[in-house]
Amino acid sequence: MPGACVTLLSLPHMETAAIQTHGLTRCFGALTAVQDVTFTVAAGQFFGFLGPNGAGKSTTIKMLTGLLEPTAGTIEILGKPFTASALDLKRQIGVVPEGMALLGRLTAPEYLRFVGRMYGLERETVNRRTEELLEFMQLADERRKLVTDFSHGMQKKLALAAAVIHGPRVLFLDEPFEGVDAIAAGMLKTMLQGMINRGATIFLTTHVLEIVERLCSHVAIIHQGRLVANGSLAELRAGVASTLPGSESEQRLTLEEMFLSIVGASAQEQTQELSWLA
Amino acid sequence: MAGLAQAEIQTTGSGGPFGRMARRQYAALVVMRWRMVTNNLRSVQGAFEIGARGIGLIIYTIMGIALGFGLGGGAYSIMKTGHLQFMPVLFWTVFLVWQVLPIALASFQEQFDLNGLLRFPVGFGSFYLLNLVFGLVDVPTILGGICSAGILTGITLARPQLFFKAACVLALFALFNILLARTVLAWVDRWLAKRRTREVVSAIFLLMMLSLQLLNPALRSEAHFQQPDKVTTKDNQQKFMNRFRGWTKNAHALEAWLPPGLAAAVVAEPQEGTPERSMMSLGILGLYVLATGAVLGVRLRAEFRGERLSEAPAARKRNESDTKWVLDGSGPIAAVIEKELRTIPRSMPLLFAMGAPLLTVLVISTLFKNGAMGGRPFQLAFPLCVCYALLGFTQLIFNNLGAEGTGIQMLFLSPTPIRTVLLAKNLLHGALFALVACLAAVLATLRLGQPDLTLLAITAAWVLFALPTNLAAGNLLSLTMPYRVNLGRVSRQRGSQASALVSMLIQAFVMGFGVGALEICSYLDKRWLAAPVLLALAAVSLVVWMQVLAKADSLANRNRENLIATLAKTE
Repeated sequence: MPGACVTLLSLPHMETAAIQTHGLTRCFGALTAVQDVTFTVAAGQFFGFLGPNGAGKSTTIKMLTGLLEPTAGTIEILGKPFTASALDLKRQIGVVPEGMALLGRLTAPEYLRFVGRMYGLERETVNRRTEELLEFMQLADERRKLVTDFSHGMQKKLALAAAVIHGPRVLFLDEPFEGVDAIAAGMLKTMLQGMINRGATIFLTTHVLEIVERLCSHVAIIHQGRLVANGSLAELRAGVASTLPGSESEQRLTLEEMFLSIVGASAQEQTQELSWLA
Repeated sequence: MAGLAQAEIQTTGSGGPFGRMARRQYAALVVMRWRMVTNNLRSVQGAFEIGARGIGLIIYTIMGIALGFGLGGGAYSIMKTGHLQFMPVLFWTVFLVWQVLPIALASFQEQFDLNGLLRFPVGFGSFYLLNLVFGLVDVPTILGGICSAGILTGITLARPQLFFKAACVLALFALFNILLARTVLAWVDRWLAKRRTREVVSAIFLLMMLSLQLLNPALRSEAHFQQPDKVTTKDNQQKFMNRFRGWTKNAHALEAWLPPGLAAAVVAEPQEGTPERSMMSLGILGLYVLATGAVLGVRLRAEFRGERLSEAPAARKRNESDTKWVLDGSGPIAAVIEKELRTIPRSMPLLFAMGAPLLTVLVISTLFKNGAMGGRPFQLAFPLCVCYALLGFTQLIFNNLGAEGTGIQMLFLSPTPIRTVLLAKNLLHGALFALVACLAAVLATLRLGQPDLTLLAITAAWVLFALPTNLAAGNLLSLTMPYRVNLGRVSRQRGSQASALVSMLIQAFVMGFGVGALEICSYLDKRWLAAPVLLALAAVSLVVWMQVLAKADSLANRNRENLIATLAKTE
């Protein structure tokens, strides 16, 4: 899978930056949640944005999608500054935010139609895409159910359907695979890979490192609000391997090992301290 | 190690609702609630909210004291004069205060959803007790408690030897009222949880309101048909009194077996000298308490076992109506209006709030018609009936983003400006208000007769002034002081006292302007002048509304984090 992503790097549309931040900072009172984050995501990239809990991933996504104002720094999406072209850019991005942004008192088709119309799609387009998405997400049999009554996984699928109904060029996904069953996860991965193949850019945060390893061509890691790693998986692997003894270790390094090495976490040590746990 | 931890839990888990672990849990809950209050003070809105809640409680307490004084005076007078047959009236008043207010105030009461505690090792006894105790410092309980205290004081002052007995009966009666209020709300939530039931109940409710409104003119026309012109007013009054006595006799026979009648019978016993009957009444009242407690227990037991109030009807195959749009057009204004049109009919509290003013119109028009204003025709009767229609929209207009929940993020993420969203909501709310106001006007005309053209014009001008003012203030309040609303629930809502207080002040301001303009112009003997004055104010309020809409996006962006945090937060 990473190989497929690497192939995309050579496509012409990669020359433009889909997302570009410079010195992005966000403070909440005395707490600095995100500090001086600078990175670039090329168009057509599947970009994994990783970090431990509370590292600043969701805060960064909120700033990138206009839900949160940065305290300092700049954001450019598709070459335009977000603040100056917010409405224009919102038409071209899709988001599955942390809280999924669903309207619980609507049914799934009603919600998708509402979202489609909010993005200014034509009636026929909205109806057609709604039906296609419901079928694709296997939600068609639940069309009479209110969203509030959906399981967490179903809500995730609906949120993703809503995020793509207008055909965004850049897709921001905050934990899209959380609570989604294996079958649906496989289906979503296929859909996302298809979008990448058609030139879309995907910015993904997740704790499921296996998915990142399979899908993403580039990865950035944020820790305690600061960007601590950024590059292709191969670059990250080489960087981490150089700090480890033995040159042969580079090829065996998994993303999980790289991640733990970079953020300096030692989960085993922490659990050992809880001696009363089984 | 796990075994040790399990053993600790088992040891502390026993003991029922008053056991060691339960007491620890209660203490933890009290601390948690206290922390929530103090943490609220960290933000300006939170501090304002608590301040407004305090003011609200003071206002309700004053109202309760006034009512308590009245009931106390009544109890004293009844005991002194020996007119014990009127004692049930006092208990029925307390009963109505305790049972009607919770539904009327459901949207303004902050209530803690105790189902969230079920993930902890809480026993059923503790869960039941917590459901009774939590929210005990609410408006109905305060008013009911003060009213009961007033009755107790009146009885004690008149007959000190009855203090202990009256206190016991009133305490039992209070317990019954608390249990019944909780039971009714719990079961209403259960019944309305299913969409189909909610739709049926909504339809019945609307039909009932229409029937009530149409019943009165029908009865009037029948009475008119039956009475020849030569029959005097005195004869009519005599006939009415005879009929009224018949009704009260029948009603009294039934009422004596209901809790307020039973409680009154116990207090009234010494005068009639029938202690056995008194004991029987007390026993039946006790049975009512037990039965109500058991019915509440059935509901709480189901919740305790993890019942989820399901919205889900059976899955159905796609049909043609699924793809139909209520409102044509693909623009965001149509989208928002359609979304609202689909959401509002699924919310019983909103339907009730919008429809209830029509019932009020029926009541106040009867008061005005029967000469409650000192027998003279009340010139404000017609406009007051119309302006009551606006009161039903207070929650909808002054917290118009409250029902979005996590969907508020979608509104910010979409390329639609917030001002467009607010404009769409305002248009729909304005149209709904116009519909209800027209219905109120028609009903008022049926009840009070046709208003003269000047008054009609003044009322129309007032509406044109009041609506944009409300919408403008509502938009400001919705963006700056939002609170999350669960449209599917009657009880256990998170309300905002601050928002309620501000909205009431604005309503008072708008109505005050209308009444002031009319009174001043009437005083100057140029009543017609009120219409152009109010129209001028309407023009100003329209400009203000447009200005607010124009600035809505910058205001929304400034309050974006607060809006998302408040509306999208998990319960």
